[in-house]
Amino acid sequence: MTESLTVRRRDRVLAAMARRGLDALVLGRADNICYASGMQGLWTAGTRPFGAGCVVIAETRRTHVLSTWDAGLPETMTRADLYPLTWNPQIMARHLAAIDGFAESTLIGVDEVSPSFERAAKRIAPLSDIATADDLMAEVRRVKFDEEIECIDAACKVAWAGADAALEAPRNPAGAAIAAMARAGTTVPSSAPTILRAGDKTIIDLGVLLNGYEGGLGGTFIDGRRRAPPPLVDACRGGAGHTDLADAADGPWLVRGLGLGFEHPVLDPDHGHREVLKAGMVLSVSDGHHRDVIAVTDGPPRILSTRPATHPDSHAPAR
Amino acid sequence: MLLAMIVAAELPTCEVKRMCADRLARLRSGLDEQQVDAAVLLHGPNVTYATGFVPEAVDASHATYQRALAIVTEDRVRLHAHGRDAHEKTDGLDCEIGAPLWPELDDDTRAVRSALQEVAGDLAGRRIAVDSVTGAMERAGLYDDAQLVDANRVLGPARLIKTTDEVACIERSQFLTEWAMEPAREACVVGATRRDVAGVFLEALRGLGGDHNEIDPIFQPMPRSQRDGPYTASGSVAFPTGVGNPRYQAGDLVWVDSGHGCGGYASDYGRTWIVGREPSAAERSCFDRWLTITRACYDAIRPGVTLGDVARRAVAANGGTRPWLPYFYLAHGVGLESAEMPMIGTDLGEEFDDNFVLAPGMILVLEPVVWDDGVAGYRAEEIVVVTDDGNRILSSFPGYAPFDS
Repeated sequence: MTESLTVRRRDRVLAAMARRGLDALVLGRADNICYASGMQGLWTAGTRPFGAGCVVIAETRRTHVLSTWDAGLPETMTRADLYPLTWNPQIMARHLAAIDGFAESTLIGVDEVSPSFERAAKRIAPLSDIATADDLMAEVRRVKFDEEIECIDAACKVAWAGADAALEAPRNPAGAAIAAMARAGTTVPSSAPTILRAGDKTIIDLGVLLNGYEGGLGGTFIDGRRRAPPPLVDACRGGAGHTDLADAADGPWLVRGLGLGFEHPVLDPDHGHREVLKAGMVLSVSDGHHRDVIAVTDGPPRILSTRPATHPDSHAPAR
Repeated sequence: MLLAMIVAAELPTCEVKRMCADRLARLRSGLDEQQVDAAVLLHGPNVTYATGFVPEAVDASHATYQRALAIVTEDRVRLHAHGRDAHEKTDGLDCEIGAPLWPELDDDTRAVRSALQEVAGDLAGRRIAVDSVTGAMERAGLYDDAQLVDANRVLGPARLIKTTDEVACIERSQFLTEWAMEPAREACVVGATRRDVAGVFLEALRGLGGDHNEIDPIFQPMPRSQRDGPYTASGSVAFPTGVGNPRYQAGDLVWVDSGHGCGGYASDYGRTWIVGREPSAAERSCFDRWLTITRACYDAIRPGVTLGDVARRAVAANGGTRPWLPYFYLAHGVGLESAEMPMIGTDLGEEFDDNFVLAPGMILVLEPVVWDDGVAGYRAEEIVVVTDDGNRILSSFPGYAPFDS
């Protein structure tokens, strides 16, 4: 990930804040924090309670991140932009109050609502109102920069290293996949690995995060070859809506944004009826056991989860 | 591996049904004490506590979108869960099972609202404990007429004291982590990278049946002096940074930390390794001091003593200075989360520690750090449970190789 990508992402966030009149944006979610600041914390599994992990100030155009050390600090930030870990809510309030511009905020956006944070924010910035801004972050992350698409492409290749290892492993295939993906670039999963063997078939679904960006694939393999993608994958083109996808789908399906993890839009049989796909979106497209990661264009989708050239993706016969 | 299986057979077992029933009873008495009408829970560990359902160990973004939701009242418990195997995992749980919900999505708030109303009735004027409210739920005004209470007030006291079944889960998690670390220690050699070693650990963990890794495992080569390491606000050494993929060189001092979940209950493994040689006399003396401090803590931990008492024993055993990283703690609890209460020696302050009294069923992960600037230091972790008359160590793997051999 280059510094210029960090800057362009932050600028998108600042532009969206300006449209909503937000003076400050307080982010608690690891993926949003990474998007706005370029800082990636240590990966841990599962949901996290809301806390002020990152503060973006419109006036100064600076991002401030909760971190006790400067390891992993992007060039766009300085040590002065960090506030250290604390277990004490009063100390945390002092840290936030010390951020240039925070105390004068009149409108503060948050990516999750927390009654206790709301009370604290009122004390630090007495003139402020709190507004939801999870949708602001979802909106700016929807369409990817080209460099983000290349990051996702690289992550998909790592997932393939895992799939190939799983197919060849006589036992503990999930362990073999994880070890192979570690050698190929990452020890961070995005989703739980699925590897099921039934007769001559192997069902695989793997997802990883590489430098923050997600990659993955899923499918039914026979003799080491993945079945051809279902029509849903090709239907994911710019301008396509819910009906187009529902008509193309065979099995249980889910089409969702993919970038720094799980993102918008989300379409499945019951959701996303008003969504329209747009060139530049990157999607995880699942139909039954098949899953591809694709970049939407105005023509046929660019499939990022194609098997790397070292292992030609010679498809097994379609279902 | 065979040996591991034999030892595993000796571990205490967890009776899931009993554990779920005990937890729910404790949660309900919390509702009663706080005069709360219903709890609506979206944070994974809280959902597990209420229902027994353990969400998959996936990235936070995935866990957040495809999140489980639990609604608990005096007489009902409803679980809405996602996941390929949600059906199998919810089979046999003593709760109502609802369809998956998407509380992150504006176009699912109608379904969330009806679920809340079906189980808890009209929320207007009622006291509702919540651990998280998504932007979509806020925009839909789901709680506009309710009085919200932080769910920690209900779940915090309940989760603080572990039942024997909960302790058994932690013990099993710790066992798996410890055994999977042995091949990783052997793989931590000159020329290997952090990812190589982590891959060996994670593969071994899977081989032992561990499918719930909760953290990107840490194998961090430490600077010998604070001056050589990353800047920290406290002026002390930085750990765990989780940054980069260092390649190990001869003599590297590697601090190790990882955790895995059984039934959702986390282990916490910490050790110090040395790459390619035996520890020097100076390094060994850091370890000896660490052992003295840890034994002093073992001696101190029993029902009725305060967190402050334990801290003072540790400081005394370290010649008067605090043997822990200033931004963390001497010890922390562990359970459905990898770091929870009780915490000893945090910046909550001495008064907090002096007012917090240990009771049977509390868990402490001791993680003293001995730092001798220029030599580096020694850090390891040990888990104990407070018993009726003292404490019991939950770690089962012997030794602190390469320091005690």
